[in-house]
Amino acid sequence: MATTFRARKGRFTATWDTGEVAVVLHLLRLTRDFVAPEREATGDPFLDLVAGLGGTADPQEPSDPALRRLLPPAHRTDSEQAAEFRRLTEHTLRSRKAANLATAITALAEALPEDGDHEPDEPVQLALDADQARALTMALTDIRLILGERLGMTTEEDSERLHEEFARSLEGEGEMDAATVQQMAYYDFLTWVQESLTGAMLG
Amino acid sequence: MGVRRRVGAVAMHPSSSSTGPAAPGPREAGQVAVLDRPEVDLPWVTIVWNDPVNLMSYVSWVFQTHFGYAKEKAHTLMMQVHEEGRAVVSTGTREKMEADTEAMHGYGLWATFQKDD
Repeated sequence: MATTFRARKGRFTATWDTGEVAVVLHLLRLTRDFVAPEREATGDPFLDLVAGLGGTADPQEPSDPALRRLLPPAHRTDSEQAAEFRRLTEHTLRSRKAANLATAITALAEALPEDGDHEPDEPVQLALDADQARALTMALTDIRLILGERLGMTTEEDSERLHEEFARSLEGEGEMDAATVQQMAYYDFLTWVQESLTGAMLG
Repeated sequence: MGVRRRVGAVAMHPSSSSTGPAAPGPREAGQVAVLDRPEVDLPWVTIVWNDPVNLMSYVSWVFQTHFGYAKEKAHTLMMQVHEEGRAVVSTGTREKMEADTEAMHGYGLWATFQKDD
């Protein structure tokens, strides 16, 4: 079982199981692929700059509600201003999110044993520097926003109802299907991790 | 965080005609368009909206980290988002508010910008 994060000599340390690191890494990678710009970076700074300026790209408000939650409209009532903002910022925002997720992925991947052959309950020491901690807590937000949207967590009441149903299903009662139970388990674990890490960062 | 829904609370569409031509009608010669005040003088605001996913501690951390607000101010703003459904988190030029809004989206908070009213 994972321990809570502690601030220690400029680093944020915790001990997780290998299996827990693997699950979070998996979710981080899925999220990076989900949010990364549809036009990948070319490696040529000039081409990327031109691509980022818009050109032919005129991104619409995403039809997938989870993606829309990660890239929300920036104006409540004026759809023209929201569209203009999206045209100017969406590519950069997606690139920044993807880069941030990549930093978190590297931080966790580095902590895993190198031989690749380990038991899921083997302990892994995490010692994140400030940039890695910042990247991980932001990345956890992105994963939780996607999971929350998939779970139908639109209001505080939705959240309470889902957690009550989840608690009942863990006792072998209730009607929550297996896939939703799994998503809720991920969501709860990530919430716990993020609360622990953010608490350590706030000092 | 709080209980207010973040979807569906769409206000009346504001008039966007402040810079457009005046409605057809008689116009006296020499009339001065004193109502055409430049919009750049008006302050803009960045608003953060409540949602059920973001943690209270995380929202406080974002306000401290991005805006450099002291712990108390960040906490007060976070509680306002949580309890009232929204809070104005920064005020200034339109360009600055657009930058703040984009930054909040980077942190996963839902922010919007608008002219202060």
